[in-house]
Amino acid sequence: MKHGNHTHANVLIPEVGLRVKALESLLAEKKAIDPAALDLIVETFETQMGPKNGAKVVAKAWTDPDYRKWLLEDGTAAIKSLGYIGVQGENMVALENTPKVHNVVVCTLCSCYPWPTLGLPPIWFKSAPYRARVVIEPRSVLKEFGLDIADDVEVRVWDSTAELRYLVLPMRPAGTENMGERELAALVTRDSMIGTGLAQSPSR
Amino acid sequence: MNMLTTAMVPTVLATGDPARVDAKIAPKFKAGDRVTVVNLNKVEHNRLPAYIRGKVGTVTFDHGVFVFPDTSAHRKGPKPQHVYTVVFTARELWGEAGHPQDRMYVDAWDDYLEPAS
Amino acid sequence: MNGIHDVGGRHGFGPVVVEENEPYFHEEWEGRMLAMMIACFAAGIYNVDQFRHPIEKMDPRHYLMSSYYEKWLCTVEQNCIDAGIVTREEVDARHAQLMRGKAA
Repeated sequence: MKHGNHTHANVLIPEVGLRVKALESLLAEKKAIDPAALDLIVETFETQMGPKNGAKVVAKAWTDPDYRKWLLEDGTAAIKSLGYIGVQGENMVALENTPKVHNVVVCTLCSCYPWPTLGLPPIWFKSAPYRARVVIEPRSVLKEFGLDIADDVEVRVWDSTAELRYLVLPMRPAGTENMGERELAALVTRDSMIGTGLAQSPSR
Repeated sequence: MNMLTTAMVPTVLATGDPARVDAKIAPKFKAGDRVTVVNLNKVEHNRLPAYIRGKVGTVTFDHGVFVFPDTSAHRKGPKPQHVYTVVFTARELWGEAGHPQDRMYVDAWDDYLEPAS
Repeated sequence: MNGIHDVGGRHGFGPVVVEENEPYFHEEWEGRMLAMMIACFAAGIYNVDQFRHPIEKMDPRHYLMSSYYEKWLCTVEQNCIDAGIVTREEVDARHAQLMRGKAA
């Protein structure tokens, strides 16, 4: 029979950054990895992968009806045509927000997120509160994000359990009729493509 | 072991890990079919969240054939099969706690679903 | 498996806490961990399903308390051990050496 009080046991890895360094140095010595390749990966994520990519997809869909139709029918092909298919974004599905339907995306089991279009997910997306609550009480979660969804609007929660990755196509804000794609892309926030926000109004 | 070099990085990031399998496999279901989620409680890896176990939903889309994670995670092969999006009403999943207008869309493999009786 | 990671529908986790203008990596080691994960995947050490499962098998308390990239360290390390590339003892020893070096 085990004795001892486990309630104060520290379960976390001490100096976890040093353990990462330990593993990296060992794998490099054994020629399993090349640290220079790691440098390039970090740099690529920090400079090239981000929601600016997804915003371009959305802005194009707002201004080009044929592209919008293509995007909704075959998200992978339409997004690939702009160069935003890749790791953790190999199979894409676009979800259209309308006045009657609001879409929001989650990965309850881990943190699946479309990297090439949205970059790396924020901590909140990967954390237990969002993953646990958005499938059972989406409206109260959306309210925490400042979104009040009317009772006659359908909320659709998409749980990315497989290798499909979801991109919400937010509604185009009013008063943007004369704006070009680049200006429009600047209104598309990361949260509006996850479904926890709306695209910004031009008056901001 | 195929060490990743800097030259290979762009291709790897652009390709990823395509789980889609180019195989002619007959689907068990089609859009519109009502399905019951299998009461899966195995210890091995799977992507069937507990909250849909045993629930009844409707297939909305057949995404085609993909690697099956349950076998792939344990080096038992790809066992390729169809992946569907299945829609559940919030009421079905959560009873009175679910909003009557809301729907949950979850992706499921053939092996996770049975025809609803 | 009916693991602690399967949180959909659970109560008691509290509000969603948002950090404004959050950087991708709060510390340099997190970026190294992301890159190492991708490099090991590209080297064929594991596929995405083999990557996910060890996270699900973490001690539930460790899973709930640890940061995101600490979970990645656990699974990449486990996969590399399972593949026979490193041993736990080697990683422990190198880790201990680095910790001693920092304390010095």
